[in-house]
Amino acid sequence: MARRLLIIGLDCVPPDFVFDRFDTPTLRALARRGSFGALESITPPITVPAWACLMTGRDPGALGIYGFRNRMDYSYDRLAIATSAAVREPTLWDRLGTRGLRSIVVGVPPSYPPRPLVGQMVSCFLTPSARSEYTWPPELKAELESRFGEYLFDVTDFRTEDKAALLRRIYDATAQKFAIVRHLMTTRPWDLLAFVDIAPDRLHHGFWKYWDPQHVRHEPGSPFRSCFEEYYAFLDRQIGALLDGLDPDTAVLVVSDHGAKRMDGAICVNEWLRREGYLVLRDEPRGPQRLEPAMVDWRRTAAWGEGGYYSRIFLNVRGREPEGMVEEGFYDRLRDELIAGLEALGDEQGRPIGTRVYRPEDLYPVRRGIPPDLIAVFGDLYWRSAGSVGIGSVWTRENDTGPDDANHAQHGMFVACGLPLPPGEVRGMRLLDMAALLARYFDLDPAGQEA
Amino acid sequence: MEGFTVWFTGLPSSGKSTLAGLLARALRERGRTVEVLDGDEVRRELTRGLGFSREDRDENIRRIAYVAKVLTRNGVVAITAAISPYRAARERARAEIGRFVEVYVSCPVEVCMQRDVKGLYARAVRGEIPQFTGISDPYEEPLSPEVVVHSDRQSPQESLQRILSYLESAGYLQPGMALVPVPAYLAGRLRRRWGDAFQRRLVEVLAAHAEGEGEPVSPEEEQQILVRLRSLGYLD
Repeated sequence: MARRLLIIGLDCVPPDFVFDRFDTPTLRALARRGSFGALESITPPITVPAWACLMTGRDPGALGIYGFRNRMDYSYDRLAIATSAAVREPTLWDRLGTRGLRSIVVGVPPSYPPRPLVGQMVSCFLTPSARSEYTWPPELKAELESRFGEYLFDVTDFRTEDKAALLRRIYDATAQKFAIVRHLMTTRPWDLLAFVDIAPDRLHHGFWKYWDPQHVRHEPGSPFRSCFEEYYAFLDRQIGALLDGLDPDTAVLVVSDHGAKRMDGAICVNEWLRREGYLVLRDEPRGPQRLEPAMVDWRRTAAWGEGGYYSRIFLNVRGREPEGMVEEGFYDRLRDELIAGLEALGDEQGRPIGTRVYRPEDLYPVRRGIPPDLIAVFGDLYWRSAGSVGIGSVWTRENDTGPDDANHAQHGMFVACGLPLPPGEVRGMRLLDMAALLARYFDLDPAGQEA
Repeated sequence: MEGFTVWFTGLPSSGKSTLAGLLARALRERGRTVEVLDGDEVRRELTRGLGFSREDRDENIRRIAYVAKVLTRNGVVAITAAISPYRAARERARAEIGRFVEVYVSCPVEVCMQRDVKGLYARAVRGEIPQFTGISDPYEEPLSPEVVVHSDRQSPQESLQRILSYLESAGYLQPGMALVPVPAYLAGRLRRRWGDAFQRRLVEVLAAHAEGEGEPVSPEEEQQILVRLRSLGYLD
């Protein structure tokens, strides 16, 4: 019998929001009919690698995608954005395509530029602008714009203080995403329909402090205090409307790439490296600014870091980096030293925060491309990593790139109906298990050899 | 990914172990799981007690072939580096394993004797080792191995490239760094356009693309994406 699968990707949705905290009758009914649970994300739990790993079943090392940007070589400044071209392992739709099965893919990161497939693709939030060619086949763009107006590939102006306008844009993005999906699913033949709504992630980052009394900048009594509850009810209705039009034999997977939690603060990784003497700047920065290679005295610098939600730390190795100074024989000792130092670093009062620093080989059996020398996840993900220098402290409670209330959590969620899983709550599921499960559903070769 | 066995055969000191090591490393870099069954280690661990009579040599090869078969059917690349002098034993291994690539490491015995990595030729010539392949025991050259490398006139790297090229062209390995399947409709279209040169052209196009810069977005678009990622807090 022909099998069909609908994947509803909800970026950043933690399990408790759906299963306990908010009113989500559609998702809970789906969970009662099928299987559900927490889904352990990859390390680092971050959008682009996580979705790529979910759709290929490969870890970040095997994909060579360690973050939003990856080193192209050992120079100090050449970093490539992880676009669709960075995914060099077959995705689920690539594999189905080799069987002639048809896929509709909307907004699954990283999918800009859209890649040819058997079916249709609308690219993700990495789309540069609505002027870009963001569909496959290209003529699909005009059709979508004539029906839905300008494509909202992301929630724009995310760092604004005009929260009311931001919240409207979040709703608009979700509504349009579901409308586009409903249109495509009813006008095209398909075996797989996979889409990702990025808007929940934007909601969490933009509004967490209003509803969570434990947030360091919680504002009690804010008009936005119930915005999570209302948004999740809205999202659940959108999902309900989508499922209403679905053939009951179609399998459904609702899945997130990682979870979310409140953000307590940021560790300024480069300020710590400077304080400890690993990173030396030519001049003292005048005020907070992004670390640029030209600012660094490379001959006296052993390590530098990139910020973002987690930190990639690079060593300045002799014979590898242009002005490398770390002797190869000292490489492992230096890494051990940095791990010990960063893991021991607590908050401003020295209280332990649970930072973990990984060597890439601890996480990934195969490492393609150029992995960071260390990967730091601060404060059990209650702390983010900030790469700016000139902050004057290792810790900041203010985000260096504008208002941001949330961080990612290690566990996302899934609800599956019609997939080969035991009914009820399934514990211990990992994001990396999903691709094999979906391959099994479609009777694909588990080893991925159908090409 | 499906496993396969690369079966090196050749005289003692012809370079089998060296090439097996290089190949293992290259395959691991491509993300494959690899196990090397080296002749010396096998005789120490798996076939201890067997001698060098024809019967014992056949038993040695039979056991290596069995282990290689088990590894192969579990998705591992098994690389064997044993002299395996008898054609019939190698053919039995081929029949048993199925996904089997015979690599003949060709090298004149005089060159092997000069190399004499383990000092065995010298001992054999002195009569200290009876039944030594190439001196007092026959080596039966393969009649139609998948790959022949000449270790007397090719560098190990050249030989390695020859083996990798074969593995790619025969479909054991995907070209480049990763498995990139081509959708069926596109493969059909390209086959019509390129005919027999399909495989080669595809590799060329992929290689050119990979070499290009791997960044299909224009600098202007890249800047737009960077600004957004930065504003989302993903970068700094």
